[in-house]
Amino acid sequence: MGGFYSYFKSLFGEKELRILILGLDGAGKTTILYRLQVGEVVTTIPTIGFNVEQVTYKNIKFQVWDLGGQTSIRPYWRCYYSNTDAVVYVIDSVDRERMGIAKDELMYMLKEEELNGAILTILANKQDVEGCMNVTEIHQALGLDSLKNRTFQIFKTSAKKGIGLDEAMDWLCNTLQNHK
Amino acid sequence: MTDSKYFTTTKKGEIFELKSELNSDKKEKKREAVKKVIASMTVGKDVSALFPDVVNCMQTDNLELKKLVYLYLMNYAKSNPDMAIMAVNTFVKDCEDPNPLIRALAVRTMGCIRVEKITEYLCEPLRKCLRDEDPYVRKTAAVCVAKLYDINAQLVDDQGFLEQLKELLSDSNPMVVANAVAALSEMNEASITGSPLIEMNSQTINKLLTALNECTEWGQVFILDSLANYSPKDDREAQSICERITPRLAHANAAVVLSAIKVLMKLMEMLPTDSDFVTTLTKKLAPPLVTLLSTEPEVQYVALRNINLIVQKRPDILKHEMKVFFVKYNDPIYVKLEKLDIMIRLASQANIAQVLSELKEYATEVDVDFVRKAVRAIGRCAIKVEQSAERCVSTLLDLIQTKVNYVVQEAIVVIKDIFRKYPNKYESIISLLCENLDTLDEPEARASMIWIIGEYAERIDNADELLESFLEGFHDENTQVQLQLLTAIVKLFLKRPTDTQELVQQVLSLATQDSDNPDLRDRGFIYWRLLSTDPGAAKDVVLAEKPLISEETDLLEPTLLDELVCHISSLASVYHKPPNAFVEGRPGLRKSLPARNENTSASNVPQAAVIPAPQESLIGDLLSMDLTTPAVVPTSVQPPSVDLLASGLDSLLTTSDLPAASSSNTGLLGDIFGFTPTPVSYSPPKQLWLPSENGKGLEIMGTFSRKNGQISMDMTLKNKAMQPMSGFAIQLNKNSFGLTPARPLQVLNPLLPTASYETSLALATTGLVQRMEPITNLQVAIKNNIDVLYYACIIPMNVFFIEDGQMDKRVFLKTWKDIPAENEVQFTLKNVLCNTEAIVLKMSQNNVFTIAKRHVEGQDMLYQSLKLTNGNWVLNELKIQPGNPNITLSLKLLAMEVAQGVFQAYDAILHS
Repeated sequence: MGGFYSYFKSLFGEKELRILILGLDGAGKTTILYRLQVGEVVTTIPTIGFNVEQVTYKNIKFQVWDLGGQTSIRPYWRCYYSNTDAVVYVIDSVDRERMGIAKDELMYMLKEEELNGAILTILANKQDVEGCMNVTEIHQALGLDSLKNRTFQIFKTSAKKGIGLDEAMDWLCNTLQNHK
Repeated sequence: MTDSKYFTTTKKGEIFELKSELNSDKKEKKREAVKKVIASMTVGKDVSALFPDVVNCMQTDNLELKKLVYLYLMNYAKSNPDMAIMAVNTFVKDCEDPNPLIRALAVRTMGCIRVEKITEYLCEPLRKCLRDEDPYVRKTAAVCVAKLYDINAQLVDDQGFLEQLKELLSDSNPMVVANAVAALSEMNEASITGSPLIEMNSQTINKLLTALNECTEWGQVFILDSLANYSPKDDREAQSICERITPRLAHANAAVVLSAIKVLMKLMEMLPTDSDFVTTLTKKLAPPLVTLLSTEPEVQYVALRNINLIVQKRPDILKHEMKVFFVKYNDPIYVKLEKLDIMIRLASQANIAQVLSELKEYATEVDVDFVRKAVRAIGRCAIKVEQSAERCVSTLLDLIQTKVNYVVQEAIVVIKDIFRKYPNKYESIISLLCENLDTLDEPEARASMIWIIGEYAERIDNADELLESFLEGFHDENTQVQLQLLTAIVKLFLKRPTDTQELVQQVLSLATQDSDNPDLRDRGFIYWRLLSTDPGAAKDVVLAEKPLISEETDLLEPTLLDELVCHISSLASVYHKPPNAFVEGRPGLRKSLPARNENTSASNVPQAAVIPAPQESLIGDLLSMDLTTPAVVPTSVQPPSVDLLASGLDSLLTTSDLPAASSSNTGLLGDIFGFTPTPVSYSPPKQLWLPSENGKGLEIMGTFSRKNGQISMDMTLKNKAMQPMSGFAIQLNKNSFGLTPARPLQVLNPLLPTASYETSLALATTGLVQRMEPITNLQVAIKNNIDVLYYACIIPMNVFFIEDGQMDKRVFLKTWKDIPAENEVQFTLKNVLCNTEAIVLKMSQNNVFTIAKRHVEGQDMLYQSLKLTNGNWVLNELKIQPGNPNITLSLKLLAMEVAQGVFQAYDAILHS
């Protein structure tokens, strides 16, 4: 029966969209993933490797890949780039020191040919923490002005409090649909 | 396009197709793709390039797909150690999966991934799994600890896994206990320190014993094996463990039975031997062992190998079970041979009749190996059970009558052993054995027969003829036959010296001069020296009373046996070798049986008592008769000298003989003895100087040598004429070095027809000097009653090298410089097979002295000096390259004429 059902689905062109959640370690990628999937805050441990989950948002199915952000794992991000529709890049807004590294990793990633068609969502996470950088500051720190030919948007979020994620997902859905 | 195209990644081909299928959205397609990957992997195709893609399929709720991906990981994680890190998070997640099967699967796979980099990430999930609520997960995690220990022992220790494992020993689930035990014993064996990681105490042992009754058969094996490593604190505890284990003997699984027997064998060591408990236990051990023999042949073989040990350790257990070891016609050969072995071990007075009739039957079977072993077994029975010896011997004689070649040969080999065990009892059969002399073609049988002939030479009238017949093909014989023949003939000679001299001379010269085998040569020389210096002593040595052979020569050495008993039911007990003899790398702990608490001395190891048999009077008489004959009296020999050998044997042999014959004997012997085993200075072999045609029937062979600062001309004169020769005298023509006889020529007077004489003529260098061509040429005139005969010979240069040829270092240096360059001559010494040290030694034995030695650019440079009898110095330089057999010799000398001769001397000495 399952085969029959999925046949119909594919007939209606309801394809799973592939999203990558990337960012430095401790930025909150796994928390965001599970916030999106189950709507709750789960306790996480550093992701050595990856998580992949199905997320349905507004009847659109996403296959969301959350990749570990540790230095030793970053080189393997590229193994996941192909066929990606959107990249969600998570920034730890409190971690001013590593903003430079975050920028470098982002720029390095965007140079990849396989990601040419992917749209970019930047989440300035941990906005609930006092003393964090605001969106403008982060926009500047990441040098987003220099981005050409890239559909992107930056959002302020707090995965813990559940702020800003819906806006980001709405934008993502709309943009992806228009993109087609 | 350039050739670089071959190196660009192809977007085609199987791997690429699989890659895209693996990344497909459709689950069904993905699963198919993983299956294809696994299939390729199984047939040996390298699909490691798909590692990231397969790993990405890992997070799935489909158990089948997950299993396949895990399988892939186990295979390829090692070839992608860096990338393997991407799998860690999935493992962590799977270890928390609600499905215990997935948890266990994850922890099992983690243990199989031997990648150092990721092991530390896996500790946390492993810890959780060890405490899992599901026993299957705990059990799997326990095994995983042992695997982790193999990768990183320190980590196991640091993370406290040992303690957790120890807790699992008291787990409520017997399967978990069994696996924790298995993991612990594996780690103990791999332990670097060799000491057990966790000491068992009576409490844990109790828990193990409880779990024993409830767990699966393989769990039982693990528990029993680890019980075998436990040493109870006293015999009460040992007894109670025995009691609780005994029911395992009735188990259907052979491994369980053997492991239980191992524990019991070990613990019985601690219990008093005479206690009722041990007696009952001994009785209980027999039936399970017998049952093992009704299994398939492979298991039977393993059981038999173990029974072989058990029977040696505790013969009582199976003493009434002889019949089950009787060979069945359809047993495979390996089972047959092993059964035979055990039959002999069990043979006793009570069952010997039965055993013998069986063995006799086996000896008529068709399988050659088996028949041989059966014949041998009869001999071993004779040696083991004294009362049966007579019957065994007659059985063997019956077998010899069959004339089946290999049966006869085997029988002769064992009869030799029987003679050694029961001397002077069955010698009447020797004549029968001798009848089969011609058919013996195996070395062992030939050697045995020769031994028998030599040992009983005095009772065999034609012993000399028999031995002589073997001597003809001496060099084609196997070494053991040669050695035996040598000894036998020497024995014969000592027993019947009068008519066997020629034989003994012949065998001694064959053994010492014509053989390449050092053992044979050494033995030959020893006999030779023994016979020539002190025939009395020779008799004492060669004909000494031999110790009787022990009851069983093929028992395992007791400490090895004890160690092997501890390894019953393992490969060691099948090989009969301790594990460290065939397992590489692990020193391991040597196991030994526990010591009994009370002092029961070494009563369990019967000492093979060897009682000297009463010497039969006949032999004694013969010996004493020989010893008192004047013929062999001259045991008081001259003080040691170079000629010791010759004079000793001469006196032994000549005294009782006719003078005419004696001259011929001495000549021959002299010839033999003229050959010194380790010539100190080099002397070329004798050459034919004067053939008999030119010498009117006198033939002269000769050479030159230098002994004790004296040159001598060593000659063998042989009378090949029909008349005696007498009145010998010698004269030398004027020659380059002024050689002249120092003494008149000594030759036996008269030299009878066919006799030969060995003489050594001392030469002085005080004669007239005349330059000869070549310089080493010497013209000789010999006179006898028939005519004056002339011949010429070449003197090897080295006899002119005098003893004080060592030049002072500084003088050498100066002289070297002083001699002009045109006086330097260079030669190449080819194929010199000795190293620098050997060269120095060899040359110094010939009065060429090494003044200095240098090592330049990988070459050894030797500077040597020598002085000739006429006072001329020769300075030499040798260039030796290690590994190069060719040596450059440069001579610097004033008297250029001798250069060629010196080179030849070097060449001859270094090739001697």
